[in-house]
Amino acid sequence: MKEESKYLIENENVYCGALSCRGCGWSLLARHVSSVMGTKTVYVVPACCFSIIAGPYPMNLLKGTVVHTLFAAAAATATGIRHSLNRQGKNDAPVVVLAGDGGTFDIGLQSLSGAAARGEDFIFICNNNGAYMNTGVQSSSATPIGSITTTNPDGKGTNAKDLMGIIAAHNIPYFATASLAFLDDLQQKIIKAKSIKGFRFIMIDSPCPPGHKYAPELSIEISRLAVETNYFPLFEAENGTYKINYLPKKKVSVSELLIRQGRFSHLFKNGTSKIIADVQKQIDLAWKKLNDRVKI
Amino acid sequence: MKTKEEILIPNPRELKNHTKKVLKGNTAAAIAAKICRATFVTAYPITPQTSIIEEIASMIARGEYDAVSVNMESEHSVFAAIKGASLVGERVFTATSGQGLLYAHEVLHAIAHLRLPVVACNVGRPSYPWNIWCDQSDSLAQRDTGWIQFYCENSQEVLDTIIQAYFIAEKLHLPVLVVLDAFYVSHTNENVFIPDQKSVDAYLPSKINGQMDIDIYHPKAFGGLVAPDMYDKFNYLFWEDMNRVEAETNLAGTKFEKDFGRKYSAVESINIHSDTKKILVTLSSITTTVRGVIKDHPEVGLLKIRLLKPFPRKSILKALNKVSEDCVLITVDRNFMGDNEGALLSEIKKAMYGQTRKIFGVYAGLGGRDVPPATIQKIIEIDINSRESGEIVWIDR
Repeated sequence: MKEESKYLIENENVYCGALSCRGCGWSLLARHVSSVMGTKTVYVVPACCFSIIAGPYPMNLLKGTVVHTLFAAAAATATGIRHSLNRQGKNDAPVVVLAGDGGTFDIGLQSLSGAAARGEDFIFICNNNGAYMNTGVQSSSATPIGSITTTNPDGKGTNAKDLMGIIAAHNIPYFATASLAFLDDLQQKIIKAKSIKGFRFIMIDSPCPPGHKYAPELSIEISRLAVETNYFPLFEAENGTYKINYLPKKKVSVSELLIRQGRFSHLFKNGTSKIIADVQKQIDLAWKKLNDRVKI
Repeated sequence: MKTKEEILIPNPRELKNHTKKVLKGNTAAAIAAKICRATFVTAYPITPQTSIIEEIASMIARGEYDAVSVNMESEHSVFAAIKGASLVGERVFTATSGQGLLYAHEVLHAIAHLRLPVVACNVGRPSYPWNIWCDQSDSLAQRDTGWIQFYCENSQEVLDTIIQAYFIAEKLHLPVLVVLDAFYVSHTNENVFIPDQKSVDAYLPSKINGQMDIDIYHPKAFGGLVAPDMYDKFNYLFWEDMNRVEAETNLAGTKFEKDFGRKYSAVESINIHSDTKKILVTLSSITTTVRGVIKDHPEVGLLKIRLLKPFPRKSILKALNKVSEDCVLITVDRNFMGDNEGALLSEIKKAMYGQTRKIFGVYAGLGGRDVPPATIQKIIEIDINSRESGEIVWIDR
């Protein structure tokens, strides 16, 4: 087996000095995305952690154009940029949205849906860390059930929105999930997305030590566990044909994932909460549904 | 080939480089976007703006207009997309109305503060409860977004102002909102002289892109976090350019007259002289009605405000230069802004700061209420001697 460091980032397209927290998923993601996309890329960033990480004026973390835009308007801004680049004959300059879960699941959903339905030619990448982390950990509709946030101090009582289901309903040419613990898979998906025309969507399960309440060095381990437990399965769909990219070798209970994160600690305080069993049931059901989709 | 409604007028001076057509204000706006060669247009329907984007879509579909029009899913996205397109350096256009403009409010700020030379039309209608008719509260609620605002009296002025708007926007790197009255202008057929493409191209050359645009070969970041000292500097520079708008408006209007035979300026004064006793201050189509009524009132003048934002104080003071101190101003406000006084009265009072002239405010024509000559007559007949300066009159109450 090759050492991962040997082939993963060939063209480093970020500068040093990112303003991310230790163990942040954004920084690793930005390095991989930008190394594949190249310097002619126009990145569109709605309000999210990356608005800060990318650097204040006049700095720019990425070797590429960055357009900071309004929270609700990433996909709409990207639409205007894409069409205008095409008018100028710059069809080969990629446009990539880098959004958080708020700018994807919540306030950004309308413009995302509009652009997907129009078949706009750009890539939308959601760095999903499951809450409004930039403003200090408030619940979003991506926040998983049971998670403690500052706006759900007793733990969120409802499930995260099935965004990938919504994306699938738009019949776009390519969508995928990816994990920062599976960098080769992540890289292949960015390469594939880049090679396809039309609206493409990639959802990243992003670690967030301050928001998920764990030590920064556990980011990759926890990301890996999310895949191993089928909590965040790796899959892609090209023109509606699903493919699961990683099959866990053995079944790992979701409690292994939850117990490592402070945001779920209350579920383990007095025995084991019923929520954990419910989450396990949902995971098993979702995994079955995903496998059924692959078979079709 | 000429269409049925196209009538050639033999040789009047102002028509030498024009074609005369009978057009609605909305059609005039759509044709203006085309002859200004706006290459990127975004669309979202809202009454009474809709026929602007319909006309643009059909001109593109017929192959008469080389542009991309994208049907967005909301006005917030309509303005966000033209923001993106303008950043890339295209000449952009869109149009909206009422709720649409209010919904886009956040984006209006972003466009202005990114210093993007966007031109958009707004067909003025109020917000709520549902009302689709003429009112100016939608655009007046955007006075503080940093956009230049023009209010047009008729379809010809809509077309001409859009051409001048691009000229001013691209010179100063500021967005311009061109406002036309719902139905009274948007859906009323009038004679409109359309300048030929060659003349428009001469007046408004191709957009030159520079450092402020996206250049994929020289990447940089746009709109990122700005520290207080730099934020202050950006706003100072914005303020400096905003202070140039009034003069640039007059310049653009003079140049327009030279090229097209129709003169425009920040304000227009009609029948204002040393014996004038009352001056009605108006925006948009009400102006036309006043023009007719004051023909029988030699002592009544008319001050039409065409450039509303930034408010053209210098031009107004100049227009009132020869008027005696006891001549009063009466503003006609077709907007209720949740305040004692209408927007025009507020602006006029600011402009008149330090002067002793009496000023009265009239609310008229809200939500499309008709303002016929009889109403203007009533405004002229308001007994100003029994009233304190600053008093408000609801003319139909």
